[in-house]
Amino acid sequence: MRRRTFLTGAAATAAVAGSGSLLSACGSSAGSGVPRLDFLSLAWQTESVKANKALVAQWNQRHPEVQVRYVQGSWDDVHDQLLTSFEGGAAPDIIHDEGIDLTDFGFGGYLADLTDLLPAGLKSRIPQATWDTARFNGGVYGVPFLQEPRVLIANRTLLVKAGVRLPDDTHPWTWQEFEDICRELSHHGGGSAERYGTAWPMSSPVSVTLNLSLTTGGRILYKDEGSGHTEVRFGTADSAFAEMVRRQVRTDRSAPSSALALGGGDVLPGFFAGRYAMLPLDFSYRQQIQQQAPKNFDWVTLPLPVGTHAPDGGRAQGVSPQTLSVAKSCKHQQAAVEFIDFMTQTPHLVQLAQGDWMPPTGTAALRDPSLTTTKLGWSTGMALASHLTASPALGSRGYPEWSDKIATPALQQYYSGAIGLDSLRGKLVRDGNRVFERYRE
Amino acid sequence: MSATDAAGVTAAPAPPASAGAGRRKARRRAGRAGQYLALLCYVVFLAFPLLWLVSTAFKSPQELGSVHPTWLPKHPTLDNFRTAFDEQPLLHAALNSLMVAGISAVVSVAIAVPAAYVMVRFRSLVSRAGTGWILVSQMFPLVLIIIPLFMVLKNLHLVDSRLGLGLVYVVWTLPFALWMLQGYVKAVPVSLEEAAAIDGCSRARTLRSVVLPLLTPGLVATLMFSFVTAWNEFFFGLVLLKSPEKQTMSVILTHFLGAEGAADLGPLAAASVLATLPSLLFFALLQRRLVGGMMTGAVKG
Amino acid sequence: MSAGATLRLRRGTGRGAGTPPPRSTAARRKVLGLDKDGWFLLLPALIPVLVLSVGPLLYGIALAFTDAQSGVTHATSFNGIANFKDLRLDSLFWQSFRIGLLWAVCVTVLQFLMSLGLALLLNQNLRLRWLARTLALVPWAMPEVVVGIMWRLVYNPDAGILNNTLHHLHLTDGTTDWLSSLSLALPAVIVVGVWAGMPQTTVVLLAGLQNVPLELHEAASLDGAGLWRRFTTVTWPTLKPVVLSITALNFIWNFNSFGLVYVLTSGGPGGKTELPMLFAYDEAFRYGQFGYAAAMGLVMVAVIAVLLAVFLRNRLKEDES
Repeated sequence: MRRRTFLTGAAATAAVAGSGSLLSACGSSAGSGVPRLDFLSLAWQTESVKANKALVAQWNQRHPEVQVRYVQGSWDDVHDQLLTSFEGGAAPDIIHDEGIDLTDFGFGGYLADLTDLLPAGLKSRIPQATWDTARFNGGVYGVPFLQEPRVLIANRTLLVKAGVRLPDDTHPWTWQEFEDICRELSHHGGGSAERYGTAWPMSSPVSVTLNLSLTTGGRILYKDEGSGHTEVRFGTADSAFAEMVRRQVRTDRSAPSSALALGGGDVLPGFFAGRYAMLPLDFSYRQQIQQQAPKNFDWVTLPLPVGTHAPDGGRAQGVSPQTLSVAKSCKHQQAAVEFIDFMTQTPHLVQLAQGDWMPPTGTAALRDPSLTTTKLGWSTGMALASHLTASPALGSRGYPEWSDKIATPALQQYYSGAIGLDSLRGKLVRDGNRVFERYRE
Repeated sequence: MSATDAAGVTAAPAPPASAGAGRRKARRRAGRAGQYLALLCYVVFLAFPLLWLVSTAFKSPQELGSVHPTWLPKHPTLDNFRTAFDEQPLLHAALNSLMVAGISAVVSVAIAVPAAYVMVRFRSLVSRAGTGWILVSQMFPLVLIIIPLFMVLKNLHLVDSRLGLGLVYVVWTLPFALWMLQGYVKAVPVSLEEAAAIDGCSRARTLRSVVLPLLTPGLVATLMFSFVTAWNEFFFGLVLLKSPEKQTMSVILTHFLGAEGAADLGPLAAASVLATLPSLLFFALLQRRLVGGMMTGAVKG
Repeated sequence: MSAGATLRLRRGTGRGAGTPPPRSTAARRKVLGLDKDGWFLLLPALIPVLVLSVGPLLYGIALAFTDAQSGVTHATSFNGIANFKDLRLDSLFWQSFRIGLLWAVCVTVLQFLMSLGLALLLNQNLRLRWLARTLALVPWAMPEVVVGIMWRLVYNPDAGILNNTLHHLHLTDGTTDWLSSLSLALPAVIVVGVWAGMPQTTVVLLAGLQNVPLELHEAASLDGAGLWRRFTTVTWPTLKPVVLSITALNFIWNFNSFGLVYVLTSGGPGGKTELPMLFAYDEAFRYGQFGYAAAMGLVMVAVIAVLLAVFLRNRLKEDES
C-alpha cells in the first residue's frame, strides 16, 4: 500500500472526505483570484526581519499578479513544523532553511528540484562550489544565499598585553600557534582570577568538529559520489582537530570543560569579564557582542587558525548555508523561483547579509564595499567566505541519526575526558557505519 | 482509631489548666513561625525565576552580558518592551491566546463534568473504556499523533483555524479533567442525589443543582489546568496555525529564538513577562474558590 | 454531631460510588450499560474525543506494525512485529529507558512530597495566603520555552545566579559545571522537572484537602492527637484517592516529558539525560522513522501500563466492584 493512500484512509475514517488541496495554502488566492505564495522566513535578528519584510513588500508592489505572504518561523522548531505540514499536505510554498536540513526533505520528495527552474542569471550569480551545498540525489533542492565561517573573536587588550602578534587575513595563525598562545594566556590562580586562553562552546559538538576537521585536511564523513553512500573514517587528519580541543581542555587546561555544553551566546559574559581571551565563534555573533560588550571593551575579529599540510592552505571550513527552497506541493513553482531570484539579486543579497551579519553567497555581493569594510571585522569574515566548502554532512542520509546517537555522546565523552581516542574512533567508525548502512537501499 | 473512640467525650471540652495553655500557646506560636518560614522557602524556590525574568526584561544588553548578574537592574530601561512590541504583534497574539484558551477551558470543563459523572455513577463498559482511553492517550507519544490529527483537521477544514486549535485543546485537556473530576465526584455522597431523584429531578437536573455546587474546588482546579495548558501550549499552535494574524502567544515567543539556543534575551524576557501575567492574574482571581468548606457543610446536614 | 457519626456517614456514602440512584420511572433500556440520560450526558465529550483523539491514536498504534517513513518516495507496508524485534536489540533505547524510569520516579516522588507539604501549608489560615498561593503557581504560568531558557541562565557556569549565589555564601568556588558534568546533569534537570510540575500537583492536592472534614480534625485535636497522628488518621484517608490519581498522572507525564530537558541538555552530556520520549521523538521527527518510533511508543505504553496497574490496583479494583 502506498503511504499516501494509507494516511488518507486513516484520516477519512473520522472526517469528511475533502480534497486535500482545498485548504492547502499553496496556490491559494489572496482574495481576488491572484495566487498567493506563503514565504516561511527564519530571519530573527531585528535588522534581518526588517530587511526581509521590506523585500517582500517591494515584490508585492512590483508583482500584483503573484502576491507573497511573509510568515515568520523560528530556527528553534522549523524542522518539526515543516515535517508536519509536509506530511499533512499543507506546506508553505517558499521555505527558508539550512543546507543540512534539506537532505531528508529532498530525498523524501517534499522539495521541488530546482535544476530546470533556475533562471540563468541566478545560476551564474552564485559560485559553483556553493551550489554543491544544495545538490544531492541528482537535483538542486535550494538556493544557498547566506553562509557563515567561524572566526576568532579576541579580547585585544589581553592579547596586546601578552605581546602576541595579531594575525591577519594573509597571515593567520596555525593551530599550533593558537595552542601555544592559549597556553600563554591562561593562568589558574584559583577563584575568580582564573583565565583561559579560549573556550569551546560545543552545544552541537558534531557540526563544529566536522566543519573544522576540514582545516586539518580531514572530513570524517566520506561520500561515494557514485552510490551516494556515506562512510565514516577517522584517520590522523580527521582526528587532528578533535585531539587539539581535547589537549586544550584536558592537558593544557587552556580551555574550560564547563564551556563544552554551552552555546556561543552563553560564553560571552565570561569573555567580557576577561575569563576567556579568545572565542572561536560563528561570524554572526559579532552582532550580539557589539550589542552586549561593556563600553570600554576592546574586541577584534581574527581569522580562524589554519591547519598545516592541508589543502587550501588549511583555510577550508565546512559550511551548511542558509537556503531558499520551493515545496513540491507548490502550484506556482515558477513564480516561487522568480521570487527567490528577486530575493537574491545582488543588492538584495547585500541587504540580507547585513541584516544577518553574515557573508552572502553571490560572487558580486561578496565584493560589495559595504560588506568588505574593516569595520566590526566584516573584511575578515568576507575573506574567509571564499574558502568555505560544503560541510561533509551535507546531502548525507542518516547524518541526523549518526550525529544524535553516536557522534554527539561519543564526542562529549571524549572532550570531557571520559574516553580516549581509540574508543572514540571505535564508536564513530564501527557503530557509525552501522547506522549509515541502514540508509543504503 | 482514637478520634472515633474519644468522640463522645470531646463534645463539650473543658477549659484546660492555665499553665498548660500558656505552654501550648507558645508552642503554637513557634509552630506558626515555622510555617511562615517554610512557606517563604517554597515561594522563593518556586517564584524566583519570575523575579529574574522581570529583572531581565528591564536590563540593557550590556547588563545581560555581565558575569556578575544582579537581581535589580542597575540602569532599568524599557527598550526591551519597545523592541518586543515593535517586532512582534504581541497584543494581537495575546488576544488570540486568550480567546483560544478561555473558550477551550470553559468547554472542556463543561463537557467533562457530565462525562465524569456518568463514568463514576454508571458501572458500564463505556466507563471502563473511558478510563482506558484516558491513560493510553496520556501515555502514547504525542509526536505520533500529531500527523494523523493534522490530517483529520484538514479534512474538517479546521487547519489554520482558531476554532480547530481550541477543539484540539479541549480534547487535549479532557483526560486530566475527567480523571480528576471523577475523584471529586466520587466524594459526593450518593444519598444527596437519592433525595433529589425521589423529588423527581432528572439526571441532568440532579447534576446541576446537587452535584455541581459540591464540586467547586475540583472544578476550579480543572479550569485552571485547562486554561493554563492551552495558554502555554506551543506545538499544536505552531503546526496548526499558519496565518501570521492567528498565531498564539507561545508561538510568537519562539520568534525571539535563533539557531542553536541563541536568544534575543531582553525582548524575549519582556514578551514573556507579558505572557506570564494573564495566567497569574487568573490564578489570583480563582485561588479563593479553591477553598471549599461546602463539602463539610453538606455532609453535616 | 459526633466525629464518629461523621466518619460513619462518610464511609457509608462518600465511598459508595457506582450505585446509580433509583429512578422513579421504570427500568430504562440500556445500551452498553448506559441509559438515555447517561448517553445524553456523555455525548458532548465522546464525539470530539472519538474524532480528534481515538482516531489518531488508533492510527498511531497501527503504525507500529508498518515500516512507515517520512516522505512520499517510500511505499509503506505492514511488517508485522519486525519493529519490535529490532527494538529488543536496540541497547541505546533500553539504556534511555532506564534513565527515563529513574527520572520519572525521582521527579514524581519529589514532586509529590514537596507539593503535599506546600498544599498543607497553603491550607492553613496564614496571612497573605492568597499571595503565596498565586506565587506558588509561577512555574505553571511561565511558558515552557521561557522556563528552559531561564534555567539555562540559572545553571550557567560563568554568569549563572546559582554559581554566583553559592560563591557568595562560600559554599563552593562558584565554578560548578551543572549541565555539562556527567554526574550532575541528571540531578540538575530533575530539580527543574520537580520545580515545573509542582504547581499542578499542589493545586490538585489543595482541592482534595477541601474534602477533609473539619469536624474530624477538631475532634481529633481536642482529643490530644498530634499533628502527625491527625494527618495519618484524618487527612490521609480522605486524600488518598486524589493522591493516587495525581501521582499516577504525574508519573505518566514525567515519563513522557522531554521538552524541558531538550532545551537544557539536548540529552547530553554523553547521553546521560537522554529520556526515552526524546529518543522516540528523534526517531520520528528527526530520522523520519514513524513505524519504529510508534513501536517504541507502544512498548513504553505497555511498560507504564504494567507499572500503573500495580500502583493503582486498588483504585481499579474499586472501579470494577
